[in-house]
Amino acid sequence: MARTLAMFTDVSLCIGCRACQVACKQWNQLAPEEPEWTGSYQNHEHFTDKSYRLVRFFEEPDDKVGVRWHMMSDVCKHCAQAGCLEACPTGAIYRTEFGTVNINQDICNGCRYCVSACPFGVVAFNHDTGTATKCTFCNDRIHNGLGPACAKACPTSSIRFGYRDELATLARKRVDELKAQGVKDAQLYGEDQNGPLGGLNAFFLITGKPAIYGLPEQPKLPQRNVFVDSLLSIGSAIAVGIGAVVAFRSRGGKEEI
Amino acid sequence: MEPGLLKSAEWPLLIDVYFFLGGIAGGAFVIATIANLLDAERYKNVVRVGYYVALLAVIPAPILLIVDLGLPTRFLHMLMVSKPSTAIGQGAMTLGPFHVKPLSPMSMGAWALMVFSGCAFLAALDVFLEHRGGRGFPALRTIVGLVGSVFGFFLAAYPGVLLGATAQPMFVSGHWLGALFLAVGASTGGAAIALVLALVGGERRDALAALMRTVAIALVVQAVTLVLFIVTVKMSGSVGISRALAPLVSGQYSLTFWLGAVTIGLIVPLALAWSGRLRRAPAGLAALVAILVLVGGFVIKYVLIAAGQVA
Repeated sequence: MARTLAMFTDVSLCIGCRACQVACKQWNQLAPEEPEWTGSYQNHEHFTDKSYRLVRFFEEPDDKVGVRWHMMSDVCKHCAQAGCLEACPTGAIYRTEFGTVNINQDICNGCRYCVSACPFGVVAFNHDTGTATKCTFCNDRIHNGLGPACAKACPTSSIRFGYRDELATLARKRVDELKAQGVKDAQLYGEDQNGPLGGLNAFFLITGKPAIYGLPEQPKLPQRNVFVDSLLSIGSAIAVGIGAVVAFRSRGGKEEI
Repeated sequence: MEPGLLKSAEWPLLIDVYFFLGGIAGGAFVIATIANLLDAERYKNVVRVGYYVALLAVIPAPILLIVDLGLPTRFLHMLMVSKPSTAIGQGAMTLGPFHVKPLSPMSMGAWALMVFSGCAFLAALDVFLEHRGGRGFPALRTIVGLVGSVFGFFLAAYPGVLLGATAQPMFVSGHWLGALFLAVGASTGGAAIALVLALVGGERRDALAALMRTVAIALVVQAVTLVLFIVTVKMSGSVGISRALAPLVSGQYSLTFWLGAVTIGLIVPLALAWSGRLRRAPAGLAALVAILVLVGGFVIKYVLIAAGQVA
């Protein structure tokens, strides 16, 4: 396996210009969509089958300055333990040699299980092709040494792309830098490979609690439930089975026609 | 968890119908097998109708799934692709073009459906031949019955485990959905047999009574697992998750839930069974209870799936 590639998004540098969103649409030839009014500059509310990149806008009430604006360019996290990949019954979702998670459009059969299994609401269903789609880190570009279109387009280097280990070092340095400048809440989300989901291959530097950005504090792999739920089902099967044996054995009314 | 971020699969009603029929098929098959093993002569009609119901309920299953996926060849991808990738998940196994993923209940369920359908066909064929005056194959029926029962239970329970392995707040924190769906499969499977026997008429009363007792026991398990599910979700601690329960117990689906799933599907049939009116198993009353259980069994699956996808 090649060295893991990753994306590091630093929200402290994001200016909300959405060049990444446009670049993504252009490179991946994603069709235009009806705009949605979400109450802010954010468009759309969720990732869609035609928006793999999404700049999210959040307003946080603040005693000193009235309101703090947060902008974050959101993307598929390419989780090291990916709920969508584990859920997929066809094997269409696979891990590439770079550690990214892709959906093979020829194999995907449109069951939509991955859509409901993603802890971040990333995977979207395309009604035209009848398949699930999401960000690929521009698979065609990274196989030709170009880096994803969004990272290329970002004018402030808020989005960086490269080898995961190098980016992680850079990210940690940047947190220290920001803290020294007085940004107390600066923290990394998804960088820790011993953390939730084995670390995210798209990790973030955020300047507030994850909840402000709509990110789950402790995202979990949905499939962790399979074992316990199956055991309880077996318990239920035993209860029903024994019950049926007892019911068919006992002669209750004893009345026969 | 921030439920607002999540997306749901938006499975249509025909998936609910599939889960319902799969439960009936699995439940009826297991009940027929147990009756056959205990007293093949006394429960002859229970066994015969049970295996017929199992086959008839499972035949539409792949059709419903194919309609949902849009193209017939797409269903095949659940089982095989021409060249499976190797990095498709933890514990994934491939053999030639075939693949199975133990951590994906949908992959396991597709295989269970295949094996179970074969068993249901063989069992139904055997009781059919015997009924037509043939000798039947008792040893084969026993083996097919035991193998099919394992997969029948699986078919009834796996949709619940499948829902539990999503990111939807209500489903992930419950843990008891598989157990509940299995019990619903048993109660509705037994009720379907009882309904046919009651409508055809002339069934031995002790056999029908035993069947209704089985249904009642399955209903008790169903009630207990439902309570455990709701309590587990409530106690899971997270605000977002307790909020996820609201559509079911007090929100837009609460009337359907309390009236359809709880009152019609559980309380009334259990009260009738408890009162002893079913002991003599008059056909009319048995048919009424069977219909209530079937309606309640469909509603409970429908309402849980619908309410869980609201958040």
